[in-house]
Amino acid sequence: MAISAQTDADAAAEAPTPGLITRLARGNIELWANLLVITWAIVFMAWQGTGFAITIGTVFAIWAILAVSLNLVVGFTGLLSVGHVGFFGIGAYTMAVLTSNASYEAARTDAIPTYGWPFFAALPVAVVLAGVVAVVVGVAFNRFRDDIFVLVSFGFAIIAFNTFLNLREITRGAFGIHEIEKPAIGGWVIDGELEFLLFSLALLALVVLVSWLVVSSSFGRVLTAIREDEEAIAVFGYRVTHYKLAIWVISAMMAGLAGGLFASWTSFIDPNSFILLESMLLVSIVILGGLATIWGSLLGAMAFVLMEEGMRFLPFIPPEYVGQARQIVLGVLLVLLMLFRPQGLVGKYRL
Amino acid sequence: MLELRDRQNTLLAIALTAATVAYLGWKVVESPEQALQFAFNGLSVGAIYALLAMGFTLVYSTVWFFDLYYGAAAAIGAYGVYYLRSQEALGGQYEVSHPSLNIAFGVITAAVVAWALHTRYYRRLSRRYGERTVTVAGGVIAVLAGLYMAVVLTFPTEMNTLLSPALGAIVALIVYAVVRRGYRATFGAPEPAAVVAAATAVGVLAGGAIALAVAGAAGSRLYLSWAVSCVLAGAVGLALYRGLYVYMLERARSPLIMLVATLGVLLALTAATTIVFEATPRPLPDAFGSDPWTIGGANIKGFNVFTIVMAFVGFAGLWVLLRRTSFGKSVRAVGDDEEVSKVVGINTTVVIAVVFFIGAAYAAFAGILTGHDTAIQPRMGLLLLLKGWIASVVGGIGNLYGAIVGGFVLGMIEQFGIWDLAGEWRDVVSFGVLILFLSFWPKGLLPRRD
Repeated sequence: MAISAQTDADAAAEAPTPGLITRLARGNIELWANLLVITWAIVFMAWQGTGFAITIGTVFAIWAILAVSLNLVVGFTGLLSVGHVGFFGIGAYTMAVLTSNASYEAARTDAIPTYGWPFFAALPVAVVLAGVVAVVVGVAFNRFRDDIFVLVSFGFAIIAFNTFLNLREITRGAFGIHEIEKPAIGGWVIDGELEFLLFSLALLALVVLVSWLVVSSSFGRVLTAIREDEEAIAVFGYRVTHYKLAIWVISAMMAGLAGGLFASWTSFIDPNSFILLESMLLVSIVILGGLATIWGSLLGAMAFVLMEEGMRFLPFIPPEYVGQARQIVLGVLLVLLMLFRPQGLVGKYRL
Repeated sequence: MLELRDRQNTLLAIALTAATVAYLGWKVVESPEQALQFAFNGLSVGAIYALLAMGFTLVYSTVWFFDLYYGAAAAIGAYGVYYLRSQEALGGQYEVSHPSLNIAFGVITAAVVAWALHTRYYRRLSRRYGERTVTVAGGVIAVLAGLYMAVVLTFPTEMNTLLSPALGAIVALIVYAVVRRGYRATFGAPEPAAVVAAATAVGVLAGGAIALAVAGAAGSRLYLSWAVSCVLAGAVGLALYRGLYVYMLERARSPLIMLVATLGVLLALTAATTIVFEATPRPLPDAFGSDPWTIGGANIKGFNVFTIVMAFVGFAGLWVLLRRTSFGKSVRAVGDDEEVSKVVGINTTVVIAVVFFIGAAYAAFAGILTGHDTAIQPRMGLLLLLKGWIASVVGGIGNLYGAIVGGFVLGMIEQFGIWDLAGEWRDVVSFGVLILFLSFWPKGLLPRRD
């Protein structure tokens, strides 16, 4: 990085001084990535209108919470976890079970227990439960590193998925849970699309704020040190395992929050939303956006959401294949990034 | 501190083993027939895991990063058989055919053949015949090979007729080489012209006989489609290594970068499979031995016995390749130290490319066996990959013996584990086993000796 900056400066000194914009834009992939995604977003919203923007915005907010929280683990601490979707699912199922509609369930033959909690009572439980599971999982996973950590995190995602699918007395298995509560403050129910978008963005802002506080604190600096050299920082007397466990739990709680939000937004969930593939897509988003930057994760989530919506309008892709086409593009992007830019579009850390 | 921890781990490991053995003993006493059934199922599932783990281990212990394309290779193998034999699989009512797919695989075949000819013959022949002639000749051969593959894929119903000349030629070459080598090994002298002539004659006869037999036997189509699918999956693996991983390894040697890149490959190929074949599970046509026999109260299918035998055949094949051939020696050398192997004159790129071919072919074969046993769907690859990965960790990562042992152990534990739970918890059981193993036996049952 430093070397390329040097040569840029040399080039600028020799050439007949180009304009400010030219100088900024030359070879600056970060700038181009930002410009591309933001312009793309603005053009799309302008073209498709506000209704579209609102739906996209909510999807974006949920993916962004997940991506930012996963980046805390993958980018800042250097643990490549592919199991994040498990915590997302725990949050979603906690929300679904606690708030599902009692009269709707009573009318079904395969009724599951209902509790009839309001959204704002269930959300902290969802977050805390994800955190508790993360403590257990984290204690078991703490000794693993690098590719073995990837393997066991795959395992966590699969165990979580199978639990959602097979614990039928609570989750109703493949049939899913319907009629999940919308958030309500006093008598005001947040059920409009726009209100829900604002609410999601508020939660996203909260997550970004917490993440920013975490990574800019001394705690965050220890995490970065762990990523760079675990043994070295342990020599200075830091309990590496405690730090790793702490960030793992924080990240899982944020994913639980995203899960609660997601369940309430779609008002129907089934295990198919929490398959391993979603987790792999999430890792791709984090890497695409950039490791060890919060802004990068937001950018990656935006690019990911826009990619799907952009493909809907391509005439040569049949609508039922949009998701698959996006997955192909993401896979190819991942390969290209690993080849040419292992830190992601605006990232600060190479795998 | 460390010693205490080690002792704790050993004690826990012993306790766990004892508990497992006690549980198994109790189960066997409780219902011997069922125990036999579960043991047989465990062996047949374990055989597939063992095949997966062997290929995975071969690749891993050569390049030392996890190649997730491996999962896609399993799916490519299974879907290759489905693609070529969909008419039988779906009862003759519907046949999938995608010209673009045929062309794509023809191009891949041509590229791999061109690469093989180039690395093997270019330098030697260009000195004698001139560079341009050799390039043109090689190019023509490669294009013809690609066309041949595309034609075979386009007319799967005539597969045995189309493939019989190629099969005959291969058999003829093998017989010819074996006779000549056998003479040299037995008499220790260069063979006279008469022996060469005899070898040629025997080779041509054997090849011709095989070709005629295959051309006349419609039943051979299924097994030919196995071979074609394995070769195609292997060719894709080889092409990925030579066309992509080589450049990636030049730039960065971090295993995680390679892991993420191959994750991208897996994502893209899985999605492509879904687009071409749709996400719904598909059957493969019935292979032989699908009627169960009842032995001692257990239902045993001939095909599953075949699967178990194939695991041992696959193991023997790899063992001979690695321990008894000069190629195997170079594979082990590259695995030990790539730089030094280069220095002593091993063409590491060729060795690793062939290893990728073999590994992917093993994965494809395991995918095919699974497909015949149950059903296939595009996402099957990821789960098979993970099972192979777990089996190789359980057995001892990077060790061929560990791979086969780990595969069977994993299969057995998985099947006995779901005896009291329901069958849908089997993936949970395997990952539970993985986490237990990594916690208490991080080096696996048979650790690799360095």
